[in-house]
Amino acid sequence: MSTTEERIAAQKRLRATRAGTDTIDERLGSSKFLTSVLDKIFPDHWSFMVGEIAMDSLIVLIITGIYLALFYVPSSKEVVYAPTSGHVYIPLVGQKMSEAYQSVINISFNVRFGLIMRQAHHWAALIFLAAVFFHMARIFFTGAFRKPREINWIIGLLLWQIVALEGFTGYSLPDDLLSGTGLRVIYSIIESIPFVGTWLVYALWGGRFPGTSLIPRLFVVHEFLFPLLIIGLLTAHLMILWHQKHTDFPGPGKTETNIRGSRIWPQYALKAGGLMMLVSSVIFLLAGFVQINPVWIYGPYQPYTVSAGAQPDWYLGWQDGAVRLWPHWEFRSFGHEIANPFFPGLLLPGILLGIMFAWPWIDKKIYKDYRAHNLLDRPRDKPFRTGVGAAAVTLFSLLTMASGTDIIANNLHVSYEAIVVALDYLVIIGPVVAFIIAYKACQRLQEVDFHPIQRPVGGVIYRTPDGGYHTVGDVHHGPSHDVPADAGASHGSGEHGSGEHGSGGAGRDSEKSVPAPSAGD
Amino acid sequence: MIMRLIKKLRSNRLLIGPAVLFGVAILAFSVLSLTQSTAKAQEALVSTNPNDIAAGAVLYSEHCQSCHGYEGEGGVVSGAPSLVDKGAAAANFYLTTGRMPLNAANNEAIRHHSIFTSAQIRQLDAYINALPQITGKGGSGPTIPTVEPLCQNQGTLAAQSAQGCVTLSEGQQLFSINCAACHQAAGSGNILSNGNVIPSLNNATLTQVAEAPLVGPKPMPIFTELTNAQISAIAQYVTYLHHASNPGGFAIGRIGPVAEGFVAILGGFCLLWFAARMIGNRG
Repeated sequence: MSTTEERIAAQKRLRATRAGTDTIDERLGSSKFLTSVLDKIFPDHWSFMVGEIAMDSLIVLIITGIYLALFYVPSSKEVVYAPTSGHVYIPLVGQKMSEAYQSVINISFNVRFGLIMRQAHHWAALIFLAAVFFHMARIFFTGAFRKPREINWIIGLLLWQIVALEGFTGYSLPDDLLSGTGLRVIYSIIESIPFVGTWLVYALWGGRFPGTSLIPRLFVVHEFLFPLLIIGLLTAHLMILWHQKHTDFPGPGKTETNIRGSRIWPQYALKAGGLMMLVSSVIFLLAGFVQINPVWIYGPYQPYTVSAGAQPDWYLGWQDGAVRLWPHWEFRSFGHEIANPFFPGLLLPGILLGIMFAWPWIDKKIYKDYRAHNLLDRPRDKPFRTGVGAAAVTLFSLLTMASGTDIIANNLHVSYEAIVVALDYLVIIGPVVAFIIAYKACQRLQEVDFHPIQRPVGGVIYRTPDGGYHTVGDVHHGPSHDVPADAGASHGSGEHGSGEHGSGGAGRDSEKSVPAPSAGD
Repeated sequence: MIMRLIKKLRSNRLLIGPAVLFGVAILAFSVLSLTQSTAKAQEALVSTNPNDIAAGAVLYSEHCQSCHGYEGEGGVVSGAPSLVDKGAAAANFYLTTGRMPLNAANNEAIRHHSIFTSAQIRQLDAYINALPQITGKGGSGPTIPTVEPLCQNQGTLAAQSAQGCVTLSEGQQLFSINCAACHQAAGSGNILSNGNVIPSLNNATLTQVAEAPLVGPKPMPIFTELTNAQISAIAQYVTYLHHASNPGGFAIGRIGPVAEGFVAILGGFCLLWFAARMIGNRG
């Protein structure tokens, strides 16, 4: 019940909003559009906000990236690091390095806010990709990719790939020892493409490794091409989402044709705005307190130097891990050799990505479900899909782990070979086991409909027309005299609610789940 | 004006006590630091004093003989090398880093707390150094190196070509070429195949770093091509890394992207995940 004061306040707010829209409307005639925008309803579930974490990180990335671009010099020209005005990193004085590396050192030591912007940019990238992975998993496990949202699934996968490549180009720009090592690995992987690899790699690098044309090219790609693609695809992603409206979990009052949630203005905008501030503050807290990629310690890249423990950033770890685990197979026929890095570096990721791109259609075939859906699946209701998802998450996690085999072996004091052999087996067995566990867990959850540790106490109380009460389904009490014989048969089988999700819970209106005191237990 | 100030200070007897104390402190500090630095310089050299050698022989028979043999000929247990031609550098390296003595012959020689005092290590060094003369066989091994000091005004290009001293820049370059491939660019260590651990250099002293390329503690090779100046530069750079000018916050072990990924996911993303849970509807 709202009080009079609350109602008056609500009217005031509405008037204020109207006044704002009127001001714009008198100039642009956009009132109708704006009101419809501001009145749009978004569902409230927290997991739908993880995609926003990704978007907010992207905003931080763009802002910090613009700042860094003001000071970065995309040039491989060799210079001698010499003390100019300001701070100097002494162990580098007199060393030959690329102009690009020198500019990154200057950003870190001499440019005001340079270091925190660099660190924020890097942390934001790592968090961005974490949010992308989570968002992707959420879409998969809840079946949000189903018709009519297949296009957005594909756009999302493209975004993931471009964002990961964007991250890699950013990792390579400083031209320090670590990024040079990473580029050398990528050079070899591209070179291993059968027949065209050597030509392709020559075209990309403009000659032999390392050459002088790559850094400027990477800068163009990192600065224009990929950001343009990301922003374009993201716009399409969001416009399609807007047009198709957001999905929601099934629940009371939720149907395929309605949406329940908060209006964009003011509720959802405030939530989203609050989240955005939290995202940027967490990123900048990390940037201020935790060091990331100290390029001055790694030193400039020289083709004859390499550092132990060279890893890509975590989101490319699964590809690096595959390269590390792959057996040393080589195939040679018709005078051609298919070099080893091709299989783990390109073929395996290609197959996995192919399956992911095709999944909406594979899913249709599996479930013979060609209809459009706006209500999400609960993961437990589609055990096979959930099992496949669990297997994929396990595979990606294990491959990512494999990217840090040396670090893990060193820090856990385990032999390196043991880790590699264990992971070799685990990447085969792990996904299968994960599939089986997830599949069985889904089936069991379907039966009981509650998480095992959340098993409710009490049962359903029925009120009879003559005013009497009886309880059904209370597993904590034995069959008692007031339970009808038919209800007594369902004791302990956890019947409550099963098969009702998705039907909107309409049948539950006459029932109330009442927790009973569990003093006896 | 000044005279008046001195007069005023003289009249103020309260200041005399502290002034005297301060003067004594400065004197004591300078004397101590001078004598200490000479003591340090002496310690880096190997003693040829017969008393030290005799004392070292006693210590040797107590702690080393059971594996390395009566006069360092080695091979009492399998894998125990001859010490005759290893030189004082090897003895000093293995003893100061606590790699020797091992608890059991099949243990891995990794960094431990040294069981000897520095005086005892000095005596053992002297004994190992004297082994070629005592046994009359084998050439003498490397002696404990004297690490050259860092140049003044390293921020200038002129300092890079100065003689008789080394620069961090030189050390950084030599470290990247010779050491980073195993010890990692920040000297935080790694692992090789066959259980060979590459130790972190975070606790290594100047002399220990300089000794390692001469001694070649397994699986590390002996870097015969490095001059003493180059080895000194590396040692100075490695010890510089312990307290490097290293802005940007916690270095999270300086092991690169793996640690960064963990922090980003567990520290950054999980925090935001919880934030999203707080903001959104948890139905």
